[in-house]
Amino acid sequence: MARKITYQQAINEALDQEMSRDPSVIVMGEDNAGGEGSPGEMDAWGGVLGVTKGLYHKHPGRVLDTPISESAFIGAAIGAACNGLRPVAELMFVDFMGVCFDQIFNQAAKFRYMFGGKAETPVVIRTMYGAGFRAAAQHSQCLYSLFTHVPGLKVVVPSNPYDAKGLLIESIRDNDPVIFFENKVLYTMEGEVPEEIYTVPFGEAAILREGDDVTIVALGRMVNMAQEAAEALQKDGIHCEIIDPRTTSPLDEETILESVEKTGRLVVVDEANPRCSMASDIAGLVVRKAFGALKAPIEQVTAPHVPPPFSDVLEDLYVPNAAKIERAVTRVAEYR
Amino acid sequence: MNTELNRESLLKAYRMMRTIREFEERVHTDFATGEIPGFVHLYAGEEASATGVCMHLSGNDYIASTHRGHGHCIAKGVDPAGMMAEIWGKETGTCKGKGGSMHIADLSKGMLGANGIVGGGGPLICGTALAAKLRGDKTVGVCFFGDGASNQGTILEAMNLATVWNLPAIFVAENNGYAETTSPNYSVACENIADRAAAFGMPGVIVDGFDFFAVYEAAGEAVKRAREGGGPTLIEVKVSRYYGHFEGDQQKYRAEGEVQKLRNEKDCLMQFRRHVTADGDISAAELDAIDAEVLAMIDDSVVRAKADPKPGPEELLTDVYVSY
Amino acid sequence: MNCLLPTDFDRHDDVIVGVIANPASGRDIRRLTAKASVFTAAEKANMVQRLLGPFGALGVDRVMIMPDSSGIAATVERSAQINRSRGESVWPLIEQVKMKSTGGVEDSQNAARIMRDAGARAIVVLGGDGTHRVIAKVVPELPMATLSTGTNNVFPDWREATVTGIATALHVTGRIDPSITLRRNKQLRVNLGEYTDIALVDVCVTRLTHVGARAVWDPDTIAELFVAFAEPDAIGLSSIAAMINPLTRDEPRGLCLRCGTEGRRVLAAIAPGVLETVVIDHCEIMQPGVRYAIRTERGSIALDGEREIEFHRGQVPRVTLELNGPPTLDVSSTLAAAARLGVMATPCAREMLR
Repeated sequence: MARKITYQQAINEALDQEMSRDPSVIVMGEDNAGGEGSPGEMDAWGGVLGVTKGLYHKHPGRVLDTPISESAFIGAAIGAACNGLRPVAELMFVDFMGVCFDQIFNQAAKFRYMFGGKAETPVVIRTMYGAGFRAAAQHSQCLYSLFTHVPGLKVVVPSNPYDAKGLLIESIRDNDPVIFFENKVLYTMEGEVPEEIYTVPFGEAAILREGDDVTIVALGRMVNMAQEAAEALQKDGIHCEIIDPRTTSPLDEETILESVEKTGRLVVVDEANPRCSMASDIAGLVVRKAFGALKAPIEQVTAPHVPPPFSDVLEDLYVPNAAKIERAVTRVAEYR
Repeated sequence: MNTELNRESLLKAYRMMRTIREFEERVHTDFATGEIPGFVHLYAGEEASATGVCMHLSGNDYIASTHRGHGHCIAKGVDPAGMMAEIWGKETGTCKGKGGSMHIADLSKGMLGANGIVGGGGPLICGTALAAKLRGDKTVGVCFFGDGASNQGTILEAMNLATVWNLPAIFVAENNGYAETTSPNYSVACENIADRAAAFGMPGVIVDGFDFFAVYEAAGEAVKRAREGGGPTLIEVKVSRYYGHFEGDQQKYRAEGEVQKLRNEKDCLMQFRRHVTADGDISAAELDAIDAEVLAMIDDSVVRAKADPKPGPEELLTDVYVSY
Repeated sequence: MNCLLPTDFDRHDDVIVGVIANPASGRDIRRLTAKASVFTAAEKANMVQRLLGPFGALGVDRVMIMPDSSGIAATVERSAQINRSRGESVWPLIEQVKMKSTGGVEDSQNAARIMRDAGARAIVVLGGDGTHRVIAKVVPELPMATLSTGTNNVFPDWREATVTGIATALHVTGRIDPSITLRRNKQLRVNLGEYTDIALVDVCVTRLTHVGARAVWDPDTIAELFVAFAEPDAIGLSSIAAMINPLTRDEPRGLCLRCGTEGRRVLAAIAPGVLETVVIDHCEIMQPGVRYAIRTERGSIALDGEREIEFHRGQVPRVTLELNGPPTLDVSSTLAAAARLGVMATPCAREMLR
């Protein structure tokens, strides 16, 4: 049996191995080492949740702590990518995109197109997302659909340690700007991860469970909840097929459409708010391209159209869970 | 300017600082039990800053705060019991349990919110100050921000705008020596945050943030200047925090014994007490009585916060829009 | 230029000069209450560099500078390296004093002690009254060449650094006699029980019971004022005394003023841009060596404009004028002597007019 490590360790290992392999890979972000200029230890944190811990001493001069100036350092990572480096910049919480979005969507995303195909911007922006930490409205959002909307960006949403490592290595080697979404609740999730370097290609969804009755497309942390629901539904005789797109841009439309052609029923599970979301995007895709196959209205299981609340009871209600998925699947399965 | 504080004001300032300290020490203790959810950033050690500034403000003045916002809230008159309930995620909280520690706000008290976004408050305070200026009501806006936020574009842009529009705004840079783990010696390109004021055409001054009187005097001049239409000021308060960036931070980036030394030698409450009792105008017994009252009040707020109900499920979907 | 000058000066040891540029000077509340100037670290670094040309040309071997986190010393060191690598340097050897910076006044004091112990023949101080005061306190016999960084000072010279550099070099190389180059200053000593401190210009007793934001800008808070000298064209508290009875830096007496509600009204520039009325009801000449008791019941004492000491009921601080204050470089008389003695010109150049 292969070695098991956590999602967080998988990300750290991917960074470590790529930094060892390729001297042009650098890591930067707020407190990615921690302690710069302070009287105590360096590498005091290794990132706010310790994801980059240890890289500072292992790769001298290539892990840069930054001032709290997202516009400046995310922009600098993009500029460095234009000039031969492969920076992996950390936008601590994706909610902070608000203070640096111009650099991402007006600069990085558009260089290649605006400059007539002459620019390459191989930058990776790693960022934490998702509710579950009682971190409230400004530290808990799921904003991958905003980035998916922007042409020129690639958007990666790994749901398990294996994919996290393989997709991050792929992101670093990719020559376009990649926004890499890490769900903070998944950091402690364990899974089998090979020690050697491997990549997981973009735009290839994973079929995590095969079934003929209902297709569930789920993203990130929701994949696990969908599996939990599918397990329970199996006992009621409802056989679900679970698809994890793994990247929202590019999106593996084919795998989703093929599955719906087979099942005729679709539930999309997305932790984000429902409007203009991956859920509505995938539902729209299926309506446009597999309308004839549909035997039931499509169900979306998402957070409600509200910001993430603080109080634990409200946050638990906010995030989709297995029970909500089960109910949605049952409704779709029973629709006649 | 009233640089000579009367007895009543001195006692008020002491009570304010003591309330902040007791509140934070209590949250620190309770957080360790695992009962308080989420991220909590404590203000203990910096009390003289919020107090020295807010003693000059009335309910109609606005402040914008930071993720380390409990002290600013208390100094601006937000009810500590409501804050405690908020931190515990209860429906009786200042924000009905929807905001939490990082987003406590009470607009009825001129408290525009703690803020989860570093540097988020600068532009907002330009806005409240603009409204005050257009109305001509002589109120002011104070933006508290940290050494970390001093490097954010939002803060620099806000200081520029404040001068351009000659706004009644005061920018209070609470330089506590660490942006999370990172020292301003590394992250701030000049010696002092106050040095940047010159570039924006406003006065920039430095005060000792452990000395209530130093903050009080500088803030008094700045607030007076703003009220009289003199424009914005930057005050850099050199201070430190007694706890980590957030509760649970191991603080390995700090020097051995650093906090204990500050507590022993510079603590604002200790200095204040020594100062006001030296001439016998205020007795130690009076201050002890305040300590006891504050302690009882905080105890009570915790008891109530623990017992209060959590928000009902219907609360999840309310308050997103005024109408929709 | 240096070919004109003989190298026959005292060369038993390296000729060492210390330079202390206080990075913190010029950031107090006077930026807010008065239009006091802001002096940038970059300009302080420029001033230090303007000293170095004359130092190198006139035979100073080594310059010790105080390290700081604002980059003054680092900028100077970097320029020195660039200079050397281009082969055009006539600058002396630059070294940063090895010490731990705290960012407080003790940095200037530690640096001054280390410089003295290393054999520095003079220190050039860039700062305000306060910086000069704290240095004089710890190295009272080491000559200071004074340079004001800001508009709010009385004690230090407000002068181009190059010229101060020439005069300093002429002094430390012994080309001009110390009886000409140095001036002995007066100082005011404050005693409060065991505690003692000095002021170089004025001691102001305020009714404010706390040191607070340190500066004194509200005339209503002033209770008593003691001055070592009072120049009518000065800025700050001593100008109040000057408008009643001017005193030069050389005459062996001081002045003691007590404020009241009735008495003589004096209009004075107590801070940059601030002309205020102060009411004086008592004025007397201070004799050296006499201890003058402070009459205010409680308050705080500002030394050279900054509140430093709080005193309480029952405590009676005393102020004494002392004539043996720190020696400072007299740039005008040094350069006048240099001209008179022909130090900076060849004999034939001086013959031209005859």
